[in-house]
Amino acid sequence: MTDRQQYKPGPASGAQVRKDGEKWTLILVRELRHSPEKVWQALTDPAHLREWAPFEVDRSLGTVGTTVKLTTVGAPAPHVTETRVTRADAPELLEYTWGDFDMRWMLEALGGGTRLTLWTNIARRFISMGAAGWHICFDVLDHLLSGNPIGRIAGPEAMKFPGWQRLNAEYAKQFGNDMPNWPPQAAQKS
Amino acid sequence: MKIKVTSVYVDDQDKALRFYTEVLGFAKKTDFSQGPYRWLTVASAEEPDGTELQLAPNNNPAAKAYQQAIFQQGQPAAMFFTDDVKGDYERIKARGAEFTLPPTDVTGSTIAMLRDTCGNLIQLTQLARYSR
Repeated sequence: MTDRQQYKPGPASGAQVRKDGEKWTLILVRELRHSPEKVWQALTDPAHLREWAPFEVDRSLGTVGTTVKLTTVGAPAPHVTETRVTRADAPELLEYTWGDFDMRWMLEALGGGTRLTLWTNIARRFISMGAAGWHICFDVLDHLLSGNPIGRIAGPEAMKFPGWQRLNAEYAKQFGNDMPNWPPQAAQKS
Repeated sequence: MKIKVTSVYVDDQDKALRFYTEVLGFAKKTDFSQGPYRWLTVASAEEPDGTELQLAPNNNPAAKAYQQAIFQQGQPAAMFFTDDVKGDYERIKARGAEFTLPPTDVTGSTIAMLRDTCGNLIQLTQLARYSR
């Protein structure tokens, strides 16, 4: 069996939600055993992002002021948005938008490694799905940084993995939200 | 091949979901998201496994331009069939929707047109039944 076939996400951890008026923010923290410089490259370089992120970029996200096209991976209809990098202080702080979402990444040196924090928008009903999806992306990122890439697991791919439903359910329990209507059930009155 | 989904652009998916379910009476079918992308569909409560209508965000310039242009020309963005256009007109109007055209006989059908509050005109159509 390959490492990808053997991959199973661990228990839910490292996610918080903040509510500010009508705006919900998902905050995800992951400690990585790799330097901020190395993590920064994985967060900004197109070839690295392709190995783990839920979107692809047509150029580096690492330069402030540049316009970059983001293509959402696995969306059921083409979803391409243009972003402008509003902050790129290597290797500490990175800010840009993904569609209507604000993405803010902070990298803090921690021993020889990095504490990585992501702030991103989330709608209430999708909190568990978003937390579970990023959880898996970060696992894949960790494999990539360790020189053992297992290939991107995002969007519909993630839902096929053993452990997806459990992870989604754990985050749903943590945040007290309902599981999203996926896989689709029969139509229901909203 | 089957026609199972069609879409309308909307300016706000949450507002659209409320209008299409609470005012028009459709049922939510699928709602999931990946990052900023949200796939949201409704289906007829009378035909839950029938054709779905995707409520697609108009958050790109092409979608906005198309939506505005056909709205300004009075073109419906979608058309729904009913067996009782007058009954639906009364029911939907009572829930606060604004009709731009009350039930009106045209060749082959009776039609009505309403605003969906999300940037579109929606046509209701009842096909005429001809006696033999």
